[in-house]
Amino acid sequence: MTGLIGPEEVRRVADAALSLPRADGVEVLFMHEWGGLTRFASSSIHQSTHREDTGIRVRVVSEGRIGVAASNDFSLEGARRAAESALEMATVVAPDALFPGLAPPVPTPRAPRVRRGGGRDHALRTRRVRRATRRDVPGGFHRRRRVRDARERGRDRQHRWTVLLGAVLAGLRDDGRDRPDGGSGFAEVFAAGRGELDPAAVGKRAADKAVASRSPRDSTRPLHGRPGAGAVSTLVGFLAWVGFGGRSLHEGRSCFSGKQGEQVASPIVTIYDDALSEGTLGLPFDFEGVPRSRVDLIGDGVFLSGVYDLRTAKQAGTTTTGHALPPPNPEGPFPLNLFMAPGEASLQDMIASTDHGLLVTRFHYTNIVHPVESTITGHDAGWHVPDRGRGDRPSGQEPAVHPVHHRGAPGHPDGGSRHRARERVLLLGQPRPRPQGLVVQLQRAFGPLTA
Amino acid sequence: MEPVVLAPVEPVTGTWHSPMQVDPFNVPLEEKVAMLMEATRRMQSIDGLAFGEGGIDLFRRRTFLATSEGTSIEQTTVQSGAGIEATALGDGELQRRSFPNSFRGHISAAGWEHIQKLGLIEEAERTATEAVELLSAKECPSEVTTLVLDSGQVELQIHESIGHPVELDRVLGMEEAYAGSSFVRPEDRGSLRYASPLVSITADASLAGGLGSFGWDDEGVPAQRVPILVDGVFENFISSRETASVLGLTSSGAMRADGWAHYPLIRMTNISIEPREGSLADIIGDTDDGVFMSTNTSWSIDDHRVNFQFGCEIAWRIEKGRLTTMYRNPNYTGITTEFWGSCDAVGGREDWTLWGTPNCGKGQPGQVARVGHGASPSRFRNVQLGVRG
Repeated sequence: MTGLIGPEEVRRVADAALSLPRADGVEVLFMHEWGGLTRFASSSIHQSTHREDTGIRVRVVSEGRIGVAASNDFSLEGARRAAESALEMATVVAPDALFPGLAPPVPTPRAPRVRRGGGRDHALRTRRVRRATRRDVPGGFHRRRRVRDARERGRDRQHRWTVLLGAVLAGLRDDGRDRPDGGSGFAEVFAAGRGELDPAAVGKRAADKAVASRSPRDSTRPLHGRPGAGAVSTLVGFLAWVGFGGRSLHEGRSCFSGKQGEQVASPIVTIYDDALSEGTLGLPFDFEGVPRSRVDLIGDGVFLSGVYDLRTAKQAGTTTTGHALPPPNPEGPFPLNLFMAPGEASLQDMIASTDHGLLVTRFHYTNIVHPVESTITGHDAGWHVPDRGRGDRPSGQEPAVHPVHHRGAPGHPDGGSRHRARERVLLLGQPRPRPQGLVVQLQRAFGPLTA
Repeated sequence: MEPVVLAPVEPVTGTWHSPMQVDPFNVPLEEKVAMLMEATRRMQSIDGLAFGEGGIDLFRRRTFLATSEGTSIEQTTVQSGAGIEATALGDGELQRRSFPNSFRGHISAAGWEHIQKLGLIEEAERTATEAVELLSAKECPSEVTTLVLDSGQVELQIHESIGHPVELDRVLGMEEAYAGSSFVRPEDRGSLRYASPLVSITADASLAGGLGSFGWDDEGVPAQRVPILVDGVFENFISSRETASVLGLTSSGAMRADGWAHYPLIRMTNISIEPREGSLADIIGDTDDGVFMSTNTSWSIDDHRVNFQFGCEIAWRIEKGRLTTMYRNPNYTGITTEFWGSCDAVGGREDWTLWGTPNCGKGQPGQVARVGHGASPSRFRNVQLGVRG
């Protein structure tokens, strides 16, 4: 088990960079990370690893010019060389008129969720998942602990946290190429400590989805979708890429550029970033050492604000929100702890109030098509919600839906695929008005679902 | 639980270095910056351009592999590349043109001499002009028609719809929980009609200049030239020692880690389409009606690598063998084997380019591989274009 590198040792190495001559300012970001991963497929472990790494990243200011260098040589000499490289980089660039200076020393807010280690027995977790699913299960559990210590002249910041991630995809064997009856279900969990992780429950969720998605049917009607929570998180996450960054907002590259105060989403949509929330594991300071706090981005469907670091805040004539990424950072600030405020409807309520549609539980391989139009592309997996009152599985807790799949590839009678829907283009920012819950318009990409 | 069986490989002792004429790390930083500054200055000289950006990508990695089987290998690879990107903004529209390719340009396992040949400065004004012109261009129509792709987009098409589906760990379900699986099955070797007879695809780790070139992979398996598709029929997977043994085969030598801290995975080497005959101009000249698309800008494909939707930066109408109307926001969609089955022209050696893809993601924790794809401009019939929300 790896131990923490103490503040004294970090400070000693950092001082080797901070003492760089001929520099007007030096900033040292130190990261220490280790973690283990156990991956399994067909109920066998096929990858079990542990790794540990340390790294420093040095930003040097010289006559208004900025240079950055990084190294994983955590030694006095490594730090010194990184600082010298950063200074060399600074000498060949033009002065940055927008450089606001390094962040001033201020108290760092306390992060609420620092947990002890995540446990070591990956095989035990795997066994529990396999017992829960009793199926051929690909998946993985990942334990990670990090320490980050940002230092610069006049102030120190440090923080440590533990993240446990678990993901399981339970697949059921089909009856062969001619009868693709197999289903699949994905479930994942995110926890701050081992007490919060229940591998068996994750496996059961995935297995239940797999069972529910067996024998997919084909649909021939254009559909609008209601994303499940996992799918919605993908959509909200992409807004971070195409919408909320201060640099893209200021430069007109964002889908929200020039739309502050405008209605950009349904009034039931509220999105914010909060690294200090109980629901996430964010750093209490950003990578410039600026304390983080909650930023309301979209309130009741109205675009309120983006996120900023020191440089983009100066560029936009505002103040930093504490969202700097590690330098060099050409894309600018980024919200790493996004939340969408819950509404009042349950998933069952939304399904019950939908005449005809598609329940999307997960997106795969999403990508930005047009940032200003906030168009992304991706592939969905989910269930067809048939016309109200005509569902064939309305019993118990099961949704009144049935799984659907896309047409297969020529050459394979079934295409060898158990994907449950054809791809479609997602159009964000123009949700259909609905009284409750999030409805993101899921527009038909290229025709109805077909066999 | 069954014990792992590794396909046999002879222990080897050796060294390998990628070919290089001028060490890019010995070129003065000022010279590199001056090249980019001049290219971006020329882009900014075009009225209406919002941003001109350029980058140089230099990469050197030295690895040493030792195994208890007796292998001892030292390898060094140097890769150099560069690219420019012009962005135009106007009236709620954003358009971008890149040269020589999008996503960091054109990277090769070579030295500074590769970057000097790219022509970043010479092509800067044309690149910026096209970005500005795209703001007022027509939207790519939604229709089923003939599609001609430049070699840069064929590179992406190969990567997503041939390279990934033939990774044997995907086929065996090992990556299904994260990166996805494949529609290709072990019994498809030698029988699956994957593409038209014009399409032959080869994985070649010995190709000079490829980002997927090496002497031995990270299991000590020698670099090989492996036929993937022969005249359109699927023949071989890319594999590791563990996965190859499942099928009773020897490894194709594709096990690679992106750094010291990561577990090697099956990664593409240089997976290329074999050139046929004719230039891009010949293919366009031989097309009565259709659309020509250039330079990838977006991609998505399902987790079995069947359905895909790809976008390009720019397109033109082809009318009677000539490029006419410019289109913006072009994209197309297809089913992997259907699309490759519709290929009726593959360009010759004169327009075949060995591209570098430095951003191939896979694995948990995520790894980013640098792989290569040789590609010629190609033509496909009856393709659905202009997918809109």
